[in-house]
Amino acid sequence: MNPTRSSVPWFSRVALILLGVLFLLPFFWMVSTSLKPLNETMKLPPQWLPSSPQWHNYPDAMQAMGPFWLYARNSLLLAFLNVVGTVFSSAFVAYGFSRLDWRGRDGCFFVLLATMMIPFPVVMVPIYGLFRALGWIGTFQPLWVPAFLAGAFNVFLLRQFFLSIPRDLSEAARIDGCSEFRIFWQIILPLAKPALLTVALFQFMATWNDFLGPLIFLARENQYTLALGLQALQGTISGTPWHHLMAASTLVLLPVLVLFFLTQRTFIRGIATTGLK
Amino acid sequence: MTLGERRNLIKGLVFVSPWILGFLAFNLYPLIASIWFSLCDYSVLSEPVFLGAQNYVDLWHDPVFWKALRNTIIFAVVAIPLSTFLSIGLAVLLNQPIAGQGIYRTIFFLPSLVPAISLAILWQWMLNGPMGLVNNLIRPFLNIINAVTGSHLQAPDWLNDPNFALWGLILTGLWGTGQAVVIYLAGLQEVPEELYEAAELDGTNAWQRFLHITLPMLSPVIFFNVLMSIIGALQTFAVPYILTGGGDGPGRSLLFLATYIYQNAFDYWNMGYASALALCLFVLIIGLSLVTVHYGEKKVHYSDR
Amino acid sequence: MAKVLIENLYKIYPAEKGRPEKVAVDNANFEIQDREFMVLVGPSGCGKTTTLRMVAGLEEISRGAIYIDGKKINEIPPKDRDIAMVFQNYALYPHMSVYRNMAFGLELRGVPKEIIRKRVDSAARTLGLLEPDNLLERKPKALSGGQRQRVALGRAIVREPKAFLFDEPLSNLDAKMRVETRTEISRLHRQLASTMIYVTHDQTEAMTMADRIVVMRYGKIQQIAAPLDLYHQPANLFVAGFIGSPPMNFFTGTLTAALQGTLEFVEKVPKGQTPFRCPLSPDTSRRLSSRQDREVILGLRPEHLHPNSLTSGATLQASVEVVEPMGAETFVYLRTGGHTCICRTTQIEFMDLEGKTLNLGPDLSRAVFFDPQTEAAIPA
Ligand SMILES: Nc1ncnc2c1ncn2[C@@H]1O[C@H](COP(=O)(O)OP(=O)(O)O)[C@@H](O)[C@H]1O
Ligand SMILES: [Mg+2]
Repeated sequence: MNPTRSSVPWFSRVALILLGVLFLLPFFWMVSTSLKPLNETMKLPPQWLPSSPQWHNYPDAMQAMGPFWLYARNSLLLAFLNVVGTVFSSAFVAYGFSRLDWRGRDGCFFVLLATMMIPFPVVMVPIYGLFRALGWIGTFQPLWVPAFLAGAFNVFLLRQFFLSIPRDLSEAARIDGCSEFRIFWQIILPLAKPALLTVALFQFMATWNDFLGPLIFLARENQYTLALGLQALQGTISGTPWHHLMAASTLVLLPVLVLFFLTQRTFIRGIATTGLK
Repeated sequence: MTLGERRNLIKGLVFVSPWILGFLAFNLYPLIASIWFSLCDYSVLSEPVFLGAQNYVDLWHDPVFWKALRNTIIFAVVAIPLSTFLSIGLAVLLNQPIAGQGIYRTIFFLPSLVPAISLAILWQWMLNGPMGLVNNLIRPFLNIINAVTGSHLQAPDWLNDPNFALWGLILTGLWGTGQAVVIYLAGLQEVPEELYEAAELDGTNAWQRFLHITLPMLSPVIFFNVLMSIIGALQTFAVPYILTGGGDGPGRSLLFLATYIYQNAFDYWNMGYASALALCLFVLIIGLSLVTVHYGEKKVHYSDR
Repeated sequence: MAKVLIENLYKIYPAEKGRPEKVAVDNANFEIQDREFMVLVGPSGCGKTTTLRMVAGLEEISRGAIYIDGKKINEIPPKDRDIAMVFQNYALYPHMSVYRNMAFGLELRGVPKEIIRKRVDSAARTLGLLEPDNLLERKPKALSGGQRQRVALGRAIVREPKAFLFDEPLSNLDAKMRVETRTEISRLHRQLASTMIYVTHDQTEAMTMADRIVVMRYGKIQQIAAPLDLYHQPANLFVAGFIGSPPMNFFTGTLTAALQGTLEFVEKVPKGQTPFRCPLSPDTSRRLSSRQDREVILGLRPEHLHPNSLTSGATLQASVEVVEPMGAETFVYLRTGGHTCICRTTQIEFMDLEGKTLNLGPDLSRAVFFDPQTEAAIPA
């Protein structure tokens, strides 16, 4: 680092510390509230820390949500199916867009990029009609089958990665006797592990966080995901038990945080590259 | 076409076939069907009945639609610049040889991971009128101001005040802006150090360097991010929906186009009208994106990488 | 056992946006004999790689045909052509061990495990991948460039293919490794006694390794010949200039009548300068008689210009510009008339000659004459 630029002005440091604290405060407030007894949540001026942490708020909140573990199972199941579906189908499609030469490829790819401009609310009505016609409303299918048909953004990400793998490798494999599918499966996929992991993480987050999809496609309570279950908790109880809501919110957030801290480097690198390419 | 070309075409189509299926079923068909439905009275439960342009006429005379449109545009036009400034600012602060850079980056990034449901419920609590943390942080400052100027400023009841609900949402959004910080930081770290050194030798100050080196070098990243934010902001649904406990806020102050589409489609089962709204939203997205692209392309500096 | 026949072969890249149609290989015709080491050489972009890739089946054939052992292979996929290829960048699978890299092609062909192990071991032994260090379990990343290239060779060898194809396999190696691997490949060729087609832009590689050489330029074949034939009887100016280092000297001039019906070559020089003149032997004169009073280009290899020569009559006066002692021989760069020429000699007493004038005696019996219009050599 250049010595003349290595000195950081004091106000930068102060600003960073202040902003850092500001960004952390909501987390702190969430956890702190989740450990208070109900009456302490209402105190004015607010009490920063619970006088004694009420750990039982967590099991109580789960109880209040109803079948918490069923919701968790549903969320996990959907996340799993979506991750598997997206990773494989997007990689498969990305292969076709990056490592094969065929007439119309670039035109198709342009269309794919253009579809990223169509958000779900724009198309949800006919899609709802479509799933209804298939008899899928009130089942999980609408929430995972589409994942097997590749997502535009993930295809785009993986294509960029596949393009960086030397062409020689495919050709060597072709001469070695690989079919196109085997090149995909045994050469390209193993080499693309970091990119696949990124896509898997993004997709897990997306499914775990999805709210609108479950809201319109699911009907019965026993199919609810955690997001829906938590919303139901917010809606049904009067008097707003903030300590329970915060505890439940923390529980829904927890798996995401754990996953993030386990895969931090891949994650940050993935985010960084999506914005730069 | 030669035999080999035909073989390649078939191979290519086989590989992209999942996407083609998805495109047909979840992009092309819905867009075309939306156009048809928007010209019909359609409730999903029965067959669509052709109405002509009636839905669009209704829409033109529907004050709620205009309210939703206004809220959507205001939200986009206010929130996007704010979060862009904030995240570039944070990224620039972070792009200094500062101890704990990685920790700060994580701190700023973490909120963007919070699921919409947790985020909205947390901020419902944060923005609570009497007991919310936000107001409790603001109050001391307001007291000082009031004492000095003799005014009677009150901390707002954010989510229950039609004048403040949208700001509450914007605040929530700013907290979750961390992805952009990571992206901008990565962009900043790609700017070659020599550029700054050369500029420093030319006698520029920090602000000039930011203006003439950092911003131009970062402009493609900013452009891409802003474009993505527009598409994101215009379809905002979950957070305001949950913030308002499944509604649209006091005086419909948190009613957005996506919310209104949802209400028409799944509360009133008025799919025809919802489709007309959806097409409006689509046109809005395309329009704003094109405007951004049009003005952006001129300003964006693409280095030849 | 493989004989490769290339017949009226064309590769035409159709026009695309901002790029006109490109004929990368233009009517190539040649035959590679069984067990022959054939080198395709030419400047970068002349179509060597494209030709090789068509043999491999990696590139579609636009027109013409390729036969291996009499069987037309135009439509046969690469894996069924029974060829192996060694790539410039090695193209080793980064996620597989050296052993798996070599075994992969055999596994896909359903060769039994024990046989695979035997073949890989023997190839690895031949290539020095077992001694001094056993590299079989390493990943390619943990190997040096030379070792990687040997693994790539091994991957080709274990397949026991009908023909080996090489595309500039040495160009990523440093000078020393290049020479070593060059001899290694030549040795393998002798040991395996199989057909090899080798692409390079380096004429030294071509000259040292080939049984026969195909010289290409702009997609067209210029000449096909054994290395020394190519050297001494180049078919045209391009081949003469491309093969040999330092390159051949060229003098443009006219053939004028001299004594006793012989001809004399008179160099074309700007006014006021003394031209280089040299009388031709009666034999050569007879051969070139039809060109009397016409322009020709005289080509002379650097080693056929003898310094301080006492050869009768024909001398070339030139001033020494640079002397490059190479050890066993010396390259002398000279200026004469309008241009430079190079003399290559084993006598090294010219070290301090820079700036002085030298008398050079051309060995005209080794000279080659070219037609300046067609650039073709005038046949003997
Ligand atoms: N896919 C392609 N499309 C168009 N032109 C190509 C393509 N591949 C190669 N060429 C052109 O064909 C010519 C021959 O290329 P190549 O065989 O790679 O040359 P080299 O003799 O250096 O190996 C070059 O001029 C190159 O630009
Ligand atoms: Mg080449």
